[in-house]
Parts: sequence; structure tokens; C-alpha cells
Amino acid sequence: MSITIIKAGVSCSIQDLGRWGYQQFGVPIGGAMDTISATTANRICGNDDAEAVLECTLHGLEMKCNETISFALTGGGARATINAQAVAYNRLIKVVAGSVIKLHSDPHGCRTYIAIAGGLKIEKELGSTSTYVFSQLGGYKGRNLEAGDELILNKSIIEMGPSKDIIINEDGFGISKWKAQVSDLPHLQDLVEITCEKGPEWKLFDEVSQQEFFKQTFTIASQSNRMGYRLDGATLSLKEKVELISTPVTRGIIQVTNEGHPIILMADAQTIGGYPRIARVYSKDISLLAQCRPGMRIRFKINLQTSL
Amino acid sequence: MQLHASLETNPFDGFIESVPAYSSLTVYFKEDISIAKVEATLLDRYTQCIGSSSSTNKSNSIQSVKHIIPVCYDAEYGLDLEEVATTCKISIQEIIAIHTSIEFSVYMIGFVPGFAYMGTVPPALETKRKDNPRLAVPEGSVAIAGLQTGIYPATIPGGWNILGRTPLKMFDKTKAPCSFLQAGDIVQFKSITKKEFEEYQ
Repeated sequence: MSITIIKAGVSCSIQDLGRWGYQQFGVPIGGAMDTISATTANRICGNDDAEAVLECTLHGLEMKCNETISFALTGGGARATINAQAVAYNRLIKVVAGSVIKLHSDPHGCRTYIAIAGGLKIEKELGSTSTYVFSQLGGYKGRNLEAGDELILNKSIIEMGPSKDIIINEDGFGISKWKAQVSDLPHLQDLVEITCEKGPEWKLFDEVSQQEFFKQTFTIASQSNRMGYRLDGATLSLKEKVELISTPVTRGIIQVTNEGHPIILMADAQTIGGYPRIARVYSKDISLLAQCRPGMRIRFKINLQTSL
Repeated sequence: MQLHASLETNPFDGFIESVPAYSSLTVYFKEDISIAKVEATLLDRYTQCIGSSSSTNKSNSIQSVKHIIPVCYDAEYGLDLEEVATTCKISIQEIIAIHTSIEFSVYMIGFVPGFAYMGTVPPALETKRKDNPRLAVPEGSVAIAGLQTGIYPATIPGGWNILGRTPLKMFDKTKAPCSFLQAGDIVQFKSITKKEFEEYQ
């Protein structure tokens, strides 16, 4: 039971819901950038929420199923084909041995999640299967997937419940009649609103910067990655220059660098930071952010419930 | 640190983890627990910790582990020794004498896995971060910046001034705990020769 990576595409790694309990040793939480899509993929397959999934950034992945398997595609950033025929996201898919799944470019979203019914056979390291490339932790040999990698699956899934009634078509696959209910994905030309609350150092910023933060449109810069999103747009400045004592930081916190550029910390964010924290993204919107790609525009809005 | 130890050994319902830093402790807990309840629990625990450290009852106080960390201050590894000597207007021998004479406290682990922030470096050795950070500071490099000292657990970019190198591994995913140093530990550096350094390998 295995699948073979033919092409890894832009970037593809194994992730779960994160490596909790090791931040005191400097190890980031990591895990899926869009935890909602990762969880949905696993639930479609009848897996545990924390089962290892593939996280594919944008398009380019090609993989071959060496056995008949059931799996699910969620999230976005690509559209998928099986044996060159289009296939839907957010449904359970059954596919015959030898089939090839490809991700092609698409203007919606940023990350596709692939869960395999029954799960991938991946050793946990420090309590998680999430790939953290910097410390060669977790995933497939502690690195992103490459052409030729063979991923071993936990067990044969054919006899398992949810995929039993799926009828295989002449192209070698079939999909479930039902689909998971999901939120719409942002289009790359959309202006995406991200809800946040004021951060601990909000008051240290000058009045113009405080206004600009919620008024201006920011563009996700090309250097953005799993650690953080750098934003281009208004330059934010402090009332007066201060050296802050480093404090723990985590996913969703928006720091402002000395040059005045905001950085939204994402899944692989460092555990300690020393830049002023202007705001924090509302946790439910982090998955939405994870589906926003470099070049997309975002605007912040205040979360009234927690700010009153 | 006592509150951190108390939470780790005796976690409350919904507790995930806590992360100590210089002057703060961040507590992570499950989303379905009410903040008010967590705040009350933390205040209660904090009061207990304060009480136990001020009384003679030492049962709750944490034991600091002291490490002697071997460092080779040879010019081959101490890439910034000469520059530090020039800016601080002292000799390389004096730098090594000062750096090995102090018991440093580990304030926190962070930045990258296993990186210990330690202090306090005396003002005689106070330096600024390098204007142009190195793209690759070798693993094990022992460095100073401001009033802090630290050890690079992996080969990474960095702007601290490098005084020497330790043969010890600061981060090892196969060990428990994975970080050689913990917040609260005490570290004293010991100068070793190049030959001794090579024998460690």
C-alpha cells in the first residue's frame, strides 16, 4: 500500500495539527497552515482529525496511487485531475491502482490538503508527524516531499464503510454523492478582510499608524512562507523608539519590524519574538489567511466582540 | 519559573503548555475552557508560588541544574574575538577570562529550537549585534550580543559576536528533553584546547 510522488510541485509536505508541548524548548507548533481544511479532509475519510495529511502549496503535484485507495482533497490553490479527468474537492474519492492525480493552477485559495482514508504511515517525532524542515523534524525524512518519494499507507481501505458505495467510472475513479460543507475560497484578485484584535503593544504605535492599520490595504509579499506573511503597504511607526524585552509569540500575532512592515506569524513561527505586537488575527481567520497567496490583498478589521 | 514548573508537573484541566521568557510566562490552553476560569487558576497558583518562595518551605522551589560547557576559544572558532577585543579595548585573554568566570542564567529557550538566551554579560564585554549578520553561523558557536550570551544549536544566519565553539549538541530530537539547556539552568563556560575540542567529536 503506497503512493509515489512523481512531481512535488511548488511545495508539498506532510503535516498534522501541530507539535504541542515543545515551545519551551524553542520548537514551533507547526502543523497544517489551514487546520480547518486539513481536519475536513480527514473527516471526509473517516480518519482522526490529527491524522497526517499532505499540504500542497499551489499547483504542480503529481502522484501515482500504487493501490486502489480512497482519499479527499480540500482547500484550494489548484484544481485536480485524476487520469486527466477533472475531479471535485471536498468529496470522498475512490481511485483504482495505477491512477495519477495532478494539481493544476487555479486562481482560488493557496493550499490543497490530501487525506488518505486509513492514514499515512509516518513516524511521530516529538509527538507529531508535522514536517519542520529547519530541524529536520517529522514528515518524510524531516523534509518537503520530492519526486520519487514513496509514501506508505496504513492499511487497505477498500472494505471501509464510507467509500463502499462509490461507483468507479471508466476513468478509474468515483466520487461520493455527498460533499463536505466548506467556506468559499478567496480569489487572487479579492480584497480579503481579516478580523483581528489589538495586540499588547498597540498603544505604542503613533495615531497615524493605528488608523492606517485598519484603513490601508496590505499586499502579501513574495517572501511569505510557512513561518510568516510579510505585508507590503503602509509603513507603521512607534510613538518613540523602544527596545522591547523578548516574549513568546505564536501563530496569528502581527509583529511590526524596525522598518515598519507588519509580519503575520504563521504555523512555523519562531517561539520567541522581540518586535512590537500591533494586533492578533482572530483564530478562525487564520485558515482563511492560509488560503491567501503572495500578491493577494488583505485589510484588517477589528473584532468588536473582544474589543469592547 | 516556579509557576511554569507548577503547571508542568500539575497541569490544570485544559492546559496545553507554558512558555517562559525573560519577564513573562505564556500559557496555552484549550479553546473550550473559559478565560475567567484559567485566570482564577493561574492567580491561585501564582499566589501559592510566591508564598512558597518567601517561606522557608523549600519543597516547592525549583532546583537549578548547573552545566559546565566546554568551549574552544581558538581563533579558528572564535571568529569575532579580535573584533570584540578592539571594540571593548581588552585582550583576547581577558575576554576568555571574563566569559568563563561568570555563572550565567538561562532565561529562555527560543528563536530556534534549543537556542538558550543567557545573561548577564558584564558591561566590559558589552557588544552590539553585527551590522551585517553572517549568513551561516556554524553550529555550536558561542556568541555574545548586548548583555546576552548564547549558543547556536544549528548552522543558521546570525548577528551575534562569536567567541568560540562548543562540541556539545544543544538540540537533539532523539533525546528527552530535546533541548540540552532549560530555562532556569545555570551555565558556566570552560575553556578547552583545540585538541580537546577535536577529541569530543
